[in-house]
Amino acid sequence: MSVLLEIESLTKSFGGVHAVRNCTFSVPEGQVTGLIGPNGAGKSTVVDLASGFGRPDSGSVRFAGEPIIGKRPDVISRLGLIRTFQTPREWRQLTVMDNVLLARRRFAQESLWRSITRARRIRREEEADRAAVRDILERFQLAGLKNELAVRLSGGQKRLLEFARIAAAEARLIILDEPMGGVNPVLGARIGEAVREFAAEGRTVVVVEHNLPFIEKTCHQVVVMDLGEVIATGPFSGLRDNPRVVDAYLGMDQSHE
Amino acid sequence: MYWVSVVTEAGIFAILALGLDVIWGWAGDFDLAFYGYLALGSYLTFVLTIGKPTPPVEYILGYHLPVVLAIALAMVAVVGLAAVIGAIALRNLREIYFAVTTLGAVSALYLLVENYTPLFDGYNGVYGLINPGQTALNLTYNGYRIFFLGVVLVLLLAAYLIVQRLSRSPFGRMLRSVREDERAAAAYGRQVFSAKYRAYLFGAALAGLTGGLFAIFISAFNPSAWTPQELLVIYAAILVGGRGNPRGVILGVFVVYIGFIELTRYLPSPASRPDFGPAMRQILIGLMIILMLRFRPEGLFRERPGLDRSPIVNGAPIPASQRPAAPPGLRSDEGATREGGASEGGMGRWAGGRRRAGKTERAGKRE
Repeated sequence: MSVLLEIESLTKSFGGVHAVRNCTFSVPEGQVTGLIGPNGAGKSTVVDLASGFGRPDSGSVRFAGEPIIGKRPDVISRLGLIRTFQTPREWRQLTVMDNVLLARRRFAQESLWRSITRARRIRREEEADRAAVRDILERFQLAGLKNELAVRLSGGQKRLLEFARIAAAEARLIILDEPMGGVNPVLGARIGEAVREFAAEGRTVVVVEHNLPFIEKTCHQVVVMDLGEVIATGPFSGLRDNPRVVDAYLGMDQSHE
Repeated sequence: MYWVSVVTEAGIFAILALGLDVIWGWAGDFDLAFYGYLALGSYLTFVLTIGKPTPPVEYILGYHLPVVLAIALAMVAVVGLAAVIGAIALRNLREIYFAVTTLGAVSALYLLVENYTPLFDGYNGVYGLINPGQTALNLTYNGYRIFFLGVVLVLLLAAYLIVQRLSRSPFGRMLRSVREDERAAAAYGRQVFSAKYRAYLFGAALAGLTGGLFAIFISAFNPSAWTPQELLVIYAAILVGGRGNPRGVILGVFVVYIGFIELTRYLPSPASRPDFGPAMRQILIGLMIILMLRFRPEGLFRERPGLDRSPIVNGAPIPASQRPAAPPGLRSDEGATREGGASEGGMGRWAGGRRRAGKTERAGKRE
């Protein structure tokens, strides 16, 4: 099993705060890796640094063997790494259909010159993508809303739209930053299912999440962070016996989960 | 002839507004350097066509080029200037920081033009491009003005068709995604700077063309001919017509120019206060901006999203009970517009009706 994302000795401070300290872990290809830890542990900072939305003070990130520190987010994205944000960042004044079509990432069609001179041809080429997007919208119960502006969706529907975009992007590595933040249990179940569908398609997934039953059910391995450091790595079942993890995150009583 | 002149002017500014709308409406950049691009286009059209200056008048170049070639060269130069200003201002600056930087850049250039007379003769400006081609076309003075109106309208139509095509293209969609959320656009592989930059240069090219037409229209140009106030009128026109909608933008220019600038000329000014009329006009435009922002912020024609025409398979609308929505507390009502009819429940009907675009009442209203 090869390693797709390799994070080594990553360090980042904001002013006097060490957000991430000497953080090292790797993400095996084709698996789901959970990234958990208390608020402020540095999980989102690691996601930002890995996706080009911020530069580490030191350390390295390799994606598919290639060093990606210092590259712009769009460059990293084009290499096949797609990330989401803690709050859904839909393109508000575009339709649901356009949001997902954009996630298909047909960059060659977006040339200004070709858009003027080859408009008809581009529209023809786009038909296949539109059909694919319709199927994806169907999968996420958004088909009936395809011509609705994204801003008018409910919070839960925005989460689904985020997943529809991810599905359309056909990325090699998907990093999800708290995909279940603020969603109801029914929708949470649908989102969990979607993550497992991505895994079944052979995509590699990293998911930052506080929903431990979901982590337990879905993740092949779990990375636990606290105060900017990785304090444990391994399958979820092994973490309950790890006193550092229990102390920092799981707490004494986890029966309510 | 008065109305020929009014419509010509509105037509010229409609082309300018189409260009500005690509920058502000689609890419979301509130550019205050834009009036400088019109000015440079105008100046260059003059100095490339009116020949050598006779002292004490001074200006650069002084060629006798055909006016069409001169306008083309002016457009190239304007795009060059926009390439420099855009490269600096669009890199990291957004919103008010971008606006102030562009305003600063163009103000500096204006100061240069005003005070360094060998460039374009300072405050006096340049003049002398009177009905180019009138004798060759064998037209009377009035005949030429009508002919020129025809030229402007043809160019406006061409500009509209290109901009409209671009608006519906993947380029237009990508640009709007950058406007809506830059970080998300970058996360999906979009080169934010490059996208905004290309839009900026495209808009500047139209401003260069407008400058050339304006040179022919008014036959003289000096630093007070075109100032930030005039640019704000163009912004007001875009706002009224519908930011992001090319058809709306053109309508907005005609409404604002003919409705406000021209009709307010008939406002009575007391003899003791000859400046009452012009002042009133500014007040009315300000009032109009406020009222539009309050009651119809999307403009007369709202930005029209590209709609997917294929029928919805699974019999939408989705009943509320099955909708995978979060509990009511989590529903996002931000940005809910007064067009309440198009909320989720009505979507299926909307999408269905839209298959015959322009035929239904709803479609008519939205376009």
